[in-house]
Amino acid sequence: MTPPTIAALLHDTVAGLARRRVDYADVRWERQQHEALIVQNGAVGHLATSLSEGCAIRALVRGAWGYAAASRLSGPGLGATAARAVEMAHACAVVQRERVPFPARPPQRGSYRTPLEVDPFTVELQKKLEYLQWANRELRDHDAIRTAMTSLEFYRTEKHLCSTEGADLQQEIVESGAAMEALAALDGEIQRRSYPMGNGVCLAQAGYEYVKALDLVGHAPRVRREAVALLRATACPAEVTTVILMPDQLALQLHESCGHAVELDRVLGQELSFAGGSFLDPAARGRFRYGSRLVNITADASCPRGVGTFGYDDEGVPAQTTPIVRDGLHVGFLSSRESAARVGLSSTGAMRADGWNAMPLVRMTNVNLEPGGSSLKALIAGTRRGVLLATNKSWSIDDQRLNFQFGTEIGWEIRRGTLGAVLKNPVYTGITPTFWGSCRGVAGPSEWRLYGVPNCAKGEPVQIMHTGHGAAPALFTRVQIGARR
Amino acid sequence: MGRARLLAALTAAARRSTADRTLIACQRGGQTTLRFAHGRFHQTFHAESLDVWVKVACGGRVGVAATNALSPEALRRAVQAAIAIAQVGGRRRLAAMPAAAGDRPAPLMTHRPETVARPITETIATLATMWRRAERDGDALAGSFTAGEEELAVAGSEGVARYQPFTVAGVKIVATHGGRATGYAAATSRDLARLDLHAVAEQAVQLARANARPRTLPLGRYDVLLEPDAVAELLEWLGYIAFGAKAFAERTSPLAGRLGDRLMHETVSISDDALHPQGLAMPFDYEGVPTQRVALIERGVASGVVFDTAYGALYHRRSTGHGMPYDESEGPLPTHLTISAGTTPRAAMERLLGDGLVIHRFHYVNGLLDTRRALMTGLTRDGTFLVRRGQRVGAVKNLRFTEPILEAFSRVAALSRERRLIADPGSGLGGCLVPAMLIRNFTFTGTTQ
Repeated sequence: MTPPTIAALLHDTVAGLARRRVDYADVRWERQQHEALIVQNGAVGHLATSLSEGCAIRALVRGAWGYAAASRLSGPGLGATAARAVEMAHACAVVQRERVPFPARPPQRGSYRTPLEVDPFTVELQKKLEYLQWANRELRDHDAIRTAMTSLEFYRTEKHLCSTEGADLQQEIVESGAAMEALAALDGEIQRRSYPMGNGVCLAQAGYEYVKALDLVGHAPRVRREAVALLRATACPAEVTTVILMPDQLALQLHESCGHAVELDRVLGQELSFAGGSFLDPAARGRFRYGSRLVNITADASCPRGVGTFGYDDEGVPAQTTPIVRDGLHVGFLSSRESAARVGLSSTGAMRADGWNAMPLVRMTNVNLEPGGSSLKALIAGTRRGVLLATNKSWSIDDQRLNFQFGTEIGWEIRRGTLGAVLKNPVYTGITPTFWGSCRGVAGPSEWRLYGVPNCAKGEPVQIMHTGHGAAPALFTRVQIGARR
Repeated sequence: MGRARLLAALTAAARRSTADRTLIACQRGGQTTLRFAHGRFHQTFHAESLDVWVKVACGGRVGVAATNALSPEALRRAVQAAIAIAQVGGRRRLAAMPAAAGDRPAPLMTHRPETVARPITETIATLATMWRRAERDGDALAGSFTAGEEELAVAGSEGVARYQPFTVAGVKIVATHGGRATGYAAATSRDLARLDLHAVAEQAVQLARANARPRTLPLGRYDVLLEPDAVAELLEWLGYIAFGAKAFAERTSPLAGRLGDRLMHETVSISDDALHPQGLAMPFDYEGVPTQRVALIERGVASGVVFDTAYGALYHRRSTGHGMPYDESEGPLPTHLTISAGTTPRAAMERLLGDGLVIHRFHYVNGLLDTRRALMTGLTRDGTFLVRRGQRVGAVKNLRFTEPILEAFSRVAALSRERRLIADPGSGLGGCLVPAMLIRNFTFTGTTQ
């Protein structure tokens, strides 16, 4: 947890800000340690470690925000940073026509630490490399596999937040993750299969036990076989049909078409110049039909192993479980103290920054599709004609989060309740509420899986956040697959 | 911090290292960002940044460590961490590091003191005046303003010592007219004095007004005139999937095995040119290697990709000056892409288009669908207009395209004589310099509501 000298500096800085008669101020110290290992085709491709530490100060003065961040962790250094934040707030207050709504909260004091069995930073690098080499050997055991990549990543983030309200919160969050990717090639065709999900490392808030449980070695033969099979597979047809999505694709579907859409700062237009807005309207909350009655989505910042799990957000609000969609109706948003106040709600505790020199934004926590009462077997058996799609490969959605198109690494045709031929290059497209409105089945808790997405981009300058998404296989009817021509 | 102190700190740490070879890069600076919407600032901040990357070679193995402190002790610890990593067993790939300092980088003026000297209160007042004027006329503005400076220094045990200061300022504005119709404009420059904030706002407002009452268009193929912002979106994705040595080596690049083949129309020439006077120039890369102009597509023919030292060694080539920060694992990438200018004045291009669409900007393009064909999808945003017989006749609702971009760039009918720099001021060390582009038969596969 926080070194005593740093804690004393933070308390002194908050006291100094209080003497400046700010409306509110908080001081956040962060130290992040990161380790990345990649083995490619049997050789070490990348091995790096990093450490970054600094302090961010946010001040509300005469109803306007100012913010500054620096890595000079000394009394004079933090004093200068605090003065800069206050100066910025004063400059904005001059032109601001209304005060920022920022309801006071009872001071929070406490701590949070990731529950883990094995601290990944205590495991020898050599041992980690041997694990990756083993999985890599299994993965490339076929002439058609041109590139076999296995990787591990670990993060340790220590935070200490103090505020003029009296908040004093310490957190230590450890994340572990792994990825495996096989690129198969034949006659100019290249196909990719990945595990545990596509497009990079799958993270969990856990120790080294998580990457062992992922069992890269055990999954490598299947990943290799499927990559090779895709080289001779039929192209996904273009038609309107029934689609069953596996959880490693639903994670991105949730992320893009629900998670971003319910970020209240987007809804209020604060991201218009970069990421865009949202089709959701706070005035229609509780009445707008987002999906079918089977669709229940929750933003859960307390989900075990979720990378969107924490004790407190970066403005001192305790972690919460927030209903987003209940029985198909949109009922909730992800919000901050300010954005929630603007629409007459209370913060859902979703303000997070991606490091010491970034300003907190409304970010996803763990945005999960609640399990239903079916099973993958039953969903397939009940499908006369359709496709099963797995593992995200590409993603695109409009600036209001309505029109989406996703590509997956692999698909299988379903004929008369049975899985059939492998399909390559599948894509599907839809309009968010129509798509979720066509959900006709969700598998149960035993098939529910949680994924940690490591690369959610938002804000200016861009911040990269880790977000969690859990789902069980789900079935959707009348979905456009393939590209319409 | 300045050239002398920064290089002295890095050089001393590199020379004290016990590794066979040590290279240290440092990027430090500060940036002020003002984000605004609905007549108020919602994020206003000044953030300092400091990144130090250490790469060492020990017995043919490479280790990388990064830190964000510059004290002798912090640098010593980072070097030791990199050495410890290099000593871990296992065969290495991409282990080559730059040899002794080679060619000197071109001298470039990349720092304009006035960019960071202007008091932020002046910019805040200017932006507030812009909002109020727009509001009086029934429009709303949202966007961001950024101004900052950075130093990039690279020093090594073999004698390399590079230093370059940079400034960058930029503004992005989305104007909303009538609560729904949007228009976008932006500008970026090393010199704040060259940014006309009012002109950018006016351009966004005019576009938003023209974008009102959009009609729904049937899906299918349309001739399109892509404005520079839209061209740059496609080009950035091409840079990522096609023009880096990693994608080339892994054969996911559409250029793999096809150098010398015609892939695009002969009017299309693409290069990476970090020395171009109209771009955000950068004289050397993170390995201290001078940047070079690299021809990627020459008159439609696949010509090359960019290399850093390690990927260069794989192909028995010298680095082209495209080394990235050492903790990156994506390999060398082009960060200063340019498409050669055409001969058609932009003002004449809508007449040349005849019947079709003018597209100002794309949103959320993704180029990972089938990288060998450069198959991409994305949506139009902030201004798409129907043109009939060379005249704009109204706005259309946003459309989704799904198109193999190599094939689309084979159907280029004209490139504008004028080019524009499209760059994100938040990153400051790259961008695209592109003309407007007229493409025949562009495929649209979806529409927004």
